[in-house]
Amino acid sequence: MLSHAFLMTLYAFLVSVFFAFLWKRQRREQIRLFLQLFLGMVLGAIALAWLMYPFPSGPPTPFP
Amino acid sequence: MSDLEVGSTSEQTEIALSGRTIAAMSAAWLMPGCGHLMLGKKSRALVFFLTVMTAIAVGCLLEGNLHRILPNQPLTLLATLGSMGSGIPYFALRFVAGYQGNVIAPGYEYGSAFLLTAGLMNLLLVLDVYDIARGRKS
Repeated sequence: MLSHAFLMTLYAFLVSVFFAFLWKRQRREQIRLFLQLFLGMVLGAIALAWLMYPFPSGPPTPFP
Repeated sequence: MSDLEVGSTSEQTEIALSGRTIAAMSAAWLMPGCGHLMLGKKSRALVFFLTVMTAIAVGCLLEGNLHRILPNQPLTLLATLGSMGSGIPYFALRFVAGYQGNVIAPGYEYGSAFLLTAGLMNLLLVLDVYDIARGRKS
């Protein structure tokens, strides 16, 4: 449960489902928007993390 | 006289529409998905209820911060308004369950994000219900 990746993915999933149903009415459009938002958030976060990798990290994280 | 009658009928229709809109918006704010349910959007109501309530549940499990106004910290006003967007769940957690969050919990920051996001998502639902009730969206 206390995993950065899991919580980030869960957050992205919930927000993507929410906006897909809020903004689109057709099922095909909903799936398309969901995938765009979900993959955009998850892959974007991983890419950003990868870009920040060379920078020094802060104090140790409390997560196991 | 005839014009007056037509005018009053039109006004009554407008008042009835406004009343329905306000009732749906109030329901949408009080309980996530309830406004859509009132407007007959059952499947969307279920999805919105599940997403917002899941976000609240995860936020509580992680012991995130349920925002409240703190003195000399003006930004907490905005965060509190955002969190209060959850409606009944916010007040039930704060005043019935006595939930406060735990600042030293490992998931505190993530939990706070989930709780705040749930409130903001529900505020967007209120606006969506307004648009649907006024015929601007299907």
